[in-house]
Amino acid sequence: MKIYKIIAIITLVFTVPSCNDYLDLSPISEETSANAYKNASQVESALIGAYESFQSSDYYVWDNILFQDVRADNHYAGGDNPEIFSIDYLTVSTTNSKVYGSWSNLYNAIAKANTVIERAKEVTDIKMTEERRNQIIGEAYFLRAFHYYNLVKNWGGVPLVLESVKSADPEVVRIPRATEEEVYAQIISDLELSASLLPDTYGNDASVNKARVSSGAANALGAKACLQKPNPDYIQALSFIAKVEESTANYTLINYEHLFDGNHYNNDESILEIQYLGGDEGNWGPQMLLPPSISGDTWRKFVTPSQNLVKAFDVAGDVIRKNATVLFESVDWIDEYWGNEIGHSIPFGSKWKNANGWSSSDRQYLLRYGDVILLKAEALNETGQLELAADEVNKIRSRVYLPNLTSDQKSTKEILRTTILNERRLELAQEAQRWDDLVRYNVIVETMNNLVEIDLRAGTAVNYNMTEAKILLPIPQQELDRNPALVQNPL
Amino acid sequence: MKLDKFQNFRTLYRYAVLMMLLSFSAYAQEVSVTGKVTDKSGEPIPGVSVLVKGSENGSSSNFDGEYEMSITNTPNAILVFSYIGMETIEKRINGLKTINVVLEENVLAMNEVVVVGYGSQQKKDITGSVSIIGAEALESRPNTQVGALIQGRAPGVQVLSSSGKPSQGLSIRIRGTNSINAGSEPLYVLDGVPTTDTRSINPSDIESISILKDASSAAIYGAQGANGVVIITTKRGTSSKPTINLNTYIGVASVWNTLPVLNGDQYRDLMTEMGQNTDWDKYTENTDWQKEIFQTGLSQNLQVSMGGKSNNTNYYVSGGYVKQTGAVRSSEMDRSNFKINLDQKVNDWLKIGTRIAYTKYSDVDVNDNSSVNSGGVLLGALNTPSVIGTYNEDGTFTSNPFQNWENPIASADGSERGYTKNRILGNIYAEIRFLKDFTFRTNYGIDDGHGVYDYFLDPYRTSFGRALKGQGIRNSDTSFYYIFENTLKYNKVIKKHKIAALVGTVNQKNSWENTAIERRNFASDGIKTVNGGSEIMKAISTKSEKANSSFISRINYDYDNKYLLTANFRADGSSIFGPDNRWGYFPSFSLGWRLSEENFLKESKVVSNLKLRLGWGLVGNDQIDNYAYLGRVGSGANYPIGGVVMPGTYPVSIENLALKWEESEQTNIGVDAGFLEGRVLLTADAYIKKTKDLLLNAPLPKSTGFDSAIQNIGKLQNKGVEFGLNTINTQGAVLWTSTLNLSINKNEVLDLVGQEIFTGGIAGRGEATLIKEGLPLGTLYGYEFGGVDATTGNAYYIDKDGESTFTPVADDRKIIGDANADFLYSLNNTVTYKGFGLTVFLQGSEGNDMLNATKIESEGLLDPKNQSLSVMNRWRNPGDVTSIPRASWGSTDNSRISTRFIEDASYIRLKTVTLSYDFSEGLTEKLKMSSLRFYVTGENLYTITNYSGFDPEVNSFGGSNTVRGIDYGTYPQTRNIIFGINVSF
Repeated sequence: MKIYKIIAIITLVFTVPSCNDYLDLSPISEETSANAYKNASQVESALIGAYESFQSSDYYVWDNILFQDVRADNHYAGGDNPEIFSIDYLTVSTTNSKVYGSWSNLYNAIAKANTVIERAKEVTDIKMTEERRNQIIGEAYFLRAFHYYNLVKNWGGVPLVLESVKSADPEVVRIPRATEEEVYAQIISDLELSASLLPDTYGNDASVNKARVSSGAANALGAKACLQKPNPDYIQALSFIAKVEESTANYTLINYEHLFDGNHYNNDESILEIQYLGGDEGNWGPQMLLPPSISGDTWRKFVTPSQNLVKAFDVAGDVIRKNATVLFESVDWIDEYWGNEIGHSIPFGSKWKNANGWSSSDRQYLLRYGDVILLKAEALNETGQLELAADEVNKIRSRVYLPNLTSDQKSTKEILRTTILNERRLELAQEAQRWDDLVRYNVIVETMNNLVEIDLRAGTAVNYNMTEAKILLPIPQQELDRNPALVQNPL
Repeated sequence: MKLDKFQNFRTLYRYAVLMMLLSFSAYAQEVSVTGKVTDKSGEPIPGVSVLVKGSENGSSSNFDGEYEMSITNTPNAILVFSYIGMETIEKRINGLKTINVVLEENVLAMNEVVVVGYGSQQKKDITGSVSIIGAEALESRPNTQVGALIQGRAPGVQVLSSSGKPSQGLSIRIRGTNSINAGSEPLYVLDGVPTTDTRSINPSDIESISILKDASSAAIYGAQGANGVVIITTKRGTSSKPTINLNTYIGVASVWNTLPVLNGDQYRDLMTEMGQNTDWDKYTENTDWQKEIFQTGLSQNLQVSMGGKSNNTNYYVSGGYVKQTGAVRSSEMDRSNFKINLDQKVNDWLKIGTRIAYTKYSDVDVNDNSSVNSGGVLLGALNTPSVIGTYNEDGTFTSNPFQNWENPIASADGSERGYTKNRILGNIYAEIRFLKDFTFRTNYGIDDGHGVYDYFLDPYRTSFGRALKGQGIRNSDTSFYYIFENTLKYNKVIKKHKIAALVGTVNQKNSWENTAIERRNFASDGIKTVNGGSEIMKAISTKSEKANSSFISRINYDYDNKYLLTANFRADGSSIFGPDNRWGYFPSFSLGWRLSEENFLKESKVVSNLKLRLGWGLVGNDQIDNYAYLGRVGSGANYPIGGVVMPGTYPVSIENLALKWEESEQTNIGVDAGFLEGRVLLTADAYIKKTKDLLLNAPLPKSTGFDSAIQNIGKLQNKGVEFGLNTINTQGAVLWTSTLNLSINKNEVLDLVGQEIFTGGIAGRGEATLIKEGLPLGTLYGYEFGGVDATTGNAYYIDKDGESTFTPVADDRKIIGDANADFLYSLNNTVTYKGFGLTVFLQGSEGNDMLNATKIESEGLLDPKNQSLSVMNRWRNPGDVTSIPRASWGSTDNSRISTRFIEDASYIRLKTVTLSYDFSEGLTEKLKMSSLRFYVTGENLYTITNYSGFDPEVNSFGGSNTVRGIDYGTYPQTRNIIFGINVSF
């Protein structure tokens, strides 16, 4: 045995491996928190990711419609999902997966916005101009406020998470609920900051201006928050609205039919809308709602307009908005409210017009000027300016060729309030506003308990058994399990 | 690189090796005798003790059966060759330089050479807990899958048969589930190359399977050994005359159980009761959907091999083809496999060899574990009313009269889909012997796999297909793995001391690539590949990597064949963890005491072998997501701005630089005993295994924006006992042997820092499984069903205060079942008489609960699904006393996850019966064959169980660590009959 053999072997055993570099692997198809936010374009991508929550969250696709329109008097559950039936019947359980899903969607979106706020401040890339840095931060503050607004109106006071979470330490992550007032205060201060950082427009391209958050959007949401909060601030709401009106974006009402025909998105009335293009940037929501003639499906569709809603259109003689909102078609299935035999004509929610095989380019408006005008009417009425309020309502009515309000309809603050509420219903059905409106007007309990919807199978009216406790959604049981610091809403 | 812990360690190793090289160089001068010890078939026998009679001068044979003895001044000395299980032979030297001996087998041999990690050992010398499945057990159960061969064959080893699909991969738990989120599958080592996917291994190439169960035997695999190790060794040629084997079988498979459902009229009554009305004249068919879905599956298997030895070359080549169609319509699997094993002795110090396997594996899966709403085939068969036919007049699939849930044929036949994987597993090694006692081995092995999944949904027949206007998907996955090992072994016998030592390094790297493309909007079904569609929905490609680096060492010491010691030490580095905690250190020790070699037992006629074993060891686990310690930021959160889709990112995980190895500490005590000359062999082991610093995906409050964070949290314990009893009941013309295995394992979550984790969701009903301190994994969780209120017909439940309620809240949920068996057992009997052989293999599980979620769907009475016949007993009128609540449209209140759906899933089944006939030598010689065997095998022939579903041996969550004992329209185990012929020339 030659000595070289031994040397060769020992060399082999101990030189071939290995040093720590061999084990120091970095992700190939992902970035890391250490390198994902170093330059300007990366922070822009993080911001895009934050916007994407509008598409990827079931909450913004249609769960908000379920909680606003189906839960209230505008629509029935339709379809075949027991959890959605329970939303319709006001028997939402603490384990309802849509409640948990929505909560999760909104907080995930907030985490993205928090990341952008922090990282945009840290970027040292010279390509990051101060102007753009401020815009990015302003956009992120708005997004955070928008999601908190949706949280607080659904669940009341919720945990306020204002920084990205960097540790899983229970001390850090088990955050108790803030009060409703604290959440609204945070929303309004975020929006004031956001409005100050954001431009009115980003140029002349509407497909940018309605996609990105502008100061108009921040002010519009500020107005909504001021009115929705427990002690509404009508003066501040009016001041926010004035800024929307002053915006060089020149928000104006357009032909109502154009709003929902699928061919006129990014229009002058739109303040912010979810940008769907179809294909892999498509919206699957419309397929859930649209009738066989449009969707090609033969299964029972969800979110069926209620007798009560259709009657409201008919009583108002509101043909244009009814036709934009409701589409009747005979179908092969039975419907417990509209026809207990097949071949009956049944209405469909039709503010979306195209299904495109689960990948529609049809959109939901997150904020539109028509809503803001009615909010202005509301604030004016509450501050005693009834005539001015009626003028705003008439703007909305006249564009759908309805007569101006009669003197009866605006005779007192209380009557005008009811008139505005009804106008909002006709204007904004299926746009995820109804439940909030009824809550804000403090009529939710009586409205739901007075609602008469006959279930044709039994021939009796549904007993909605609405209570004050049901105004808020339950904190999801799954979240209570994960965060012992939370306290459940009254059930 | 800084001088760190790791480098100190490396230095230590260098010294250790040098010491070993230097310390034994003094013995070289004397007259030496060499030779080789083989058995009758020419197979070398390692570890044979060679002694000069009347002295303490001795040696032992190496792995190739070769020995070398130094002898001084005794030309007439006698060498004594002894080996447990073999007849002892004495040979006078007579001046010969080379003495080869052939040892005859002792009948009733209990000892055998067992392949263990990085080498082999005689069974008598093993101090850890190792189960062996030998050729005989493998042959008596012809099957296409390795996992099926293992089931019931080794105590403490549970094969989780999650379904009966031909494409079902196997899942094995050795001594319980050790982790909550990290992998719990054992490591499979195929001819020295670790692998994970065992579906492409051809069972007929397998020579033996060793299962390393305790930490001390698995510790040499350190980081990968936490869940035990399954070492699979394939055949090598040994006879000088080439042996050609031809094995073939054909078989049929069918579902052994169907469930009664409502007929058309009963369904109509039910719908009417729920206020559902339709034009019933349109629905007059009478289709038995279970008949449509279940079919007689056919399997064919042909395997040819040739092996032998010429001069210094051992060779084995094989090729084969298996094709199986399943007992559920459209499911199928086929596999082609080729294998080459070569070992070449180049000269007296160098040996080179290779093992190469190529497999082409294809399958078509069926959608089980889903409701009819989601296209589940099994639940579709139960929940689709009989009143509809399969196709409408226009060629589209029919659907439920009230809802567009298509019939189950649409799910089975409506799409074209298939998975194909090409895989090469191979290694090349070189073994160099030097300085008499040293062996250096270098081994390089790869596992290279390329899989493709193709899917096409035509734009006509299904509703989903029409909505999408056709859909084409192609996903491809590529994986490449290599292992590079260098080990140095030292073997020495000095008088009564037998020493074996091993040191080495192992480097491993995995690379994965995935690509997925999808298009929709096809003009027709003329083009079925993705290019036919116009709308790009997905175009994704990702890559990832993982690397491990290890130093291994082991010492085996044996004094006088009585006292045995094994010590392992291994250091493992993994790219999964951050720089600070990358390295884990895993020691183990085990002791054996062969009492039967002591004087007080040596002469015993009753006790032929008795060994006590005691082992302790630590092993690690890093089987979690790649790059787990990093705060990862993902892509694909894209959003259109200005009509252009902009790239968007999002935070995926929270950085955790402190993340480190999950460690399992296991103590094992065992006894091996042989009685009555080995006619009765008993192995018993007791163990306690504690896993700490669990790599837990601890759920976070969703308010963080994250679902969970991987952390080292918590402790888990498995403890248990296992027994294996082998007996030879009769000998002589009738040889009857029995094997009885019994395993008891108790799993408990010891610490979860107070967290409760809910998992195992059932569609529309919430989670059915709870993970909590003090409970075992697999705890079923839900409401306590009280009964049916005779007045309203509603189900009432028992709340947490013990009161009845119709509307229980989440807090009222409690533990309702345990999916863990109290014990698992199997009994194998083999009887041979002349040429006939009969094997009867019983296997069972006792005391495990199952949530029959299939029944939730088929007794839910809330939607237009067809229901079980049992709902004829439903409540209909006030005063009805029954256990089935009233029908209530759209409400799940009457069918919550509750004790109502928990069933005892204990079973005992006649797993395998094989009757074989070997033709006599006289006849085979005339036919120019060396052997000829015919056999017929039946599998799952008879099952005794109280479980009311299709089959008790299923889990809709597959091999999940935490969610077990849930049947949700899961593909059942099938009854199989196989006819086969084995011929060898």
